[in-house]
Amino acid sequence: MGADVLMPQLVMPKLGLTMTEGVLLEWHVSAGDVFRAGDMLFVVETDKVANEIQADTDGIIDELLVEEGDIVPVGMPLATLKGGRVSELSEKVISTVEAAVSAVASEPRQFVKDSDSGRIVSTPLARKRAREMGVDLSRVAGSGPGGRIKVDDLGHLGDPIAQEMRRLPSEHGLQAQEIRPSAARLATARRVSAAKTNVPHFYITQDVEVSALQVFRATINERSPGIRISVTHLLIKALGVAMAELPTTNRIWVDDKILAFNQVDIGMVTETVDGLRVPIIRDAGRRTLEEVAIDARTLASRAQEDSLTQKEVGGGSVSISNVGMFGASSLTPIINPPQAMILGVGSEQALFRPDEAGHPFLHKEICLTLACDHRVHDGADAARLLARLARILKNPSVSM
Amino acid sequence: MSEVRYLKAVNQALYDAMEADDTVFVIGEDVGAAGGPFKATRGLLERFGPGRVYDAPIAEAVIAGVAVGAAMTGMRPVAEIMFMDFITLAMDQIVNQAAKARSMFGGQASLPLVIRAPHGGGLSAGPQHSQCLEAWFAHVPGLKVVCPANAADAYGLIRSAIDDPDPVIVVENKTLYAAKSELPDDPQAVPIGKATISRPGRDVTVVTYGAMVREALTAADQLTIEGVEIEVLDLRSIQPWDEAMVVSSLARTHRLVVAHEAVEAFGVGAEVVARMADIGFDELDAPIIRVGAPFAPSPFAKALEAAYRPDASDIVRAVRRTLA
Repeated sequence: MGADVLMPQLVMPKLGLTMTEGVLLEWHVSAGDVFRAGDMLFVVETDKVANEIQADTDGIIDELLVEEGDIVPVGMPLATLKGGRVSELSEKVISTVEAAVSAVASEPRQFVKDSDSGRIVSTPLARKRAREMGVDLSRVAGSGPGGRIKVDDLGHLGDPIAQEMRRLPSEHGLQAQEIRPSAARLATARRVSAAKTNVPHFYITQDVEVSALQVFRATINERSPGIRISVTHLLIKALGVAMAELPTTNRIWVDDKILAFNQVDIGMVTETVDGLRVPIIRDAGRRTLEEVAIDARTLASRAQEDSLTQKEVGGGSVSISNVGMFGASSLTPIINPPQAMILGVGSEQALFRPDEAGHPFLHKEICLTLACDHRVHDGADAARLLARLARILKNPSVSM
Repeated sequence: MSEVRYLKAVNQALYDAMEADDTVFVIGEDVGAAGGPFKATRGLLERFGPGRVYDAPIAEAVIAGVAVGAAMTGMRPVAEIMFMDFITLAMDQIVNQAAKARSMFGGQASLPLVIRAPHGGGLSAGPQHSQCLEAWFAHVPGLKVVCPANAADAYGLIRSAIDDPDPVIVVENKTLYAAKSELPDDPQAVPIGKATISRPGRDVTVVTYGAMVREALTAADQLTIEGVEIEVLDLRSIQPWDEAMVVSSLARTHRLVVAHEAVEAFGVGAEVVARMADIGFDELDAPIIRVGAPFAPSPFAKALEAAYRPDASDIVRAVRRTLA
């Protein structure tokens, strides 16, 4: 597909190696607007980061094709531009996209809205579903031959369960309010659905004695009160050390290939008012505990301010999600693709265990649940990693 | 339950029907002393005698004419046409007499007549001994057409055909005769007009019958490796056919392939496709694709015939097209 056969248009840019779609979070232009090079055109959210997209050249917006909050595959048109020539911006974005598309598929997804005839090519089933859902097919990208819209292209809107959910309140006389999710909520929903559908998860759980860890933490915080080391910080550092010692655990599965990383970057699942963010603590295996803690605190507050940059969220093979502060005893988490593992952390539990002589002995334990992508990891790998992590946590002063 | 050859099930159905009802008799070329050209009637002459197992002259019009007349007078004839290709010579008796009698005589005549006819290629038998002509008869009001794919259905459909008050054409694929499949120790009649799901699947419905059921199951094994699960639906009866089961399968898979050994153009598949494009329209998420022989006479040469006959690989290709 050459750029000369396309109508001039803005398309969803590919902003990262593994990006396949983005949420059009916000339009800064509308139909008929004249824009100049450097003007902000729109905001795309991907990997839970907002990216401001600027114009590289001057132009005029003809029509906006997607609404704020819409999820758009990479390379799909977002707006048409006035004028017969392809703008430099479009050419630039299109060439990026073409490179990406040619790498994955011989028949790229096409947008079927034909501006000349207005005819939409779709299967009968897709038409019926769209009618039931109230979906405008002119806004749907068809993935079939010649751009034909199939029922799958309606995404979750074509899901019979979703249909049922829509019918439920009225049919059963229930009082329910329909709320349009925020772009961030929608992005999270799509990501976790895709993760749970496409990534074959398995889980491995271990209770880890943390009495020594508590002493270690108290000692450091007494010595350097400014840093305020948390359990999460200790876990990030310990997981970094464990994975650096077992480098084959630091891998992800992408497009039937294994990517092996040479430093351990660890995501920290962070709750914000606007949904979850996963900032990444870089090189957690080699950097000191103090550096990791400072980094984690900075990133956590940036997440709260919603000011994380693309560099602060991409990459890594593992994340940590700690719900211990709420008293939950354990968490079985969903992997955050393209990462291949996530560690769920529960709260500290006091309980008696038999000592070697069989007498009750007071333990302080946290429950660690490691979710793994079975495409790249096997059970034994995961068990070894968890055992290594447990050993580090039991002897923190030696290993951290 | 034991594994028997398809031919054995045909033979047992005829034997049991003749045991059960004195009015049942067999007529055809070489069906008596020779035990049938494919041995479907082996042993019947010895058991039931020349009065009920009648070796006819090489005259298909006579065979059909005798059968029509006998049926009209209360007998239940089972006529065998040696190769389905030769049925051309019996067409007037079948199409203009047998099929019309009930309607033309105001319901006063019933023709409980069965015509067995082996169809299909694969034996290097040339263009006049390899055709699949079932669509001709499915097009004629007043005729029923069945085409069993395995021993149990061969037994069950022949028993139902013989019991049926109207003319039934039983089409048997020659390449199936030697194939073994399960036959219950106490085999039962199979109702005419009811399809069966030979293999359930979620992605694409493949409607077929006769020897192509086997090809569809082979295709299913290949496709499952690619993560595609096809539902193989064996029509068993072509006229009447189980429209309800086809549309309900289509409503689950939303994709449809119709496969038969007969020439694709103007065939049984065309009827199935046309009905699904009507009553199943809103269920379709892909074009419906037919698999059938090309519009040409069946070649004699082995290599050419192999290229001519549709097989599992053609079904696999068609299924992939519906998933594009």
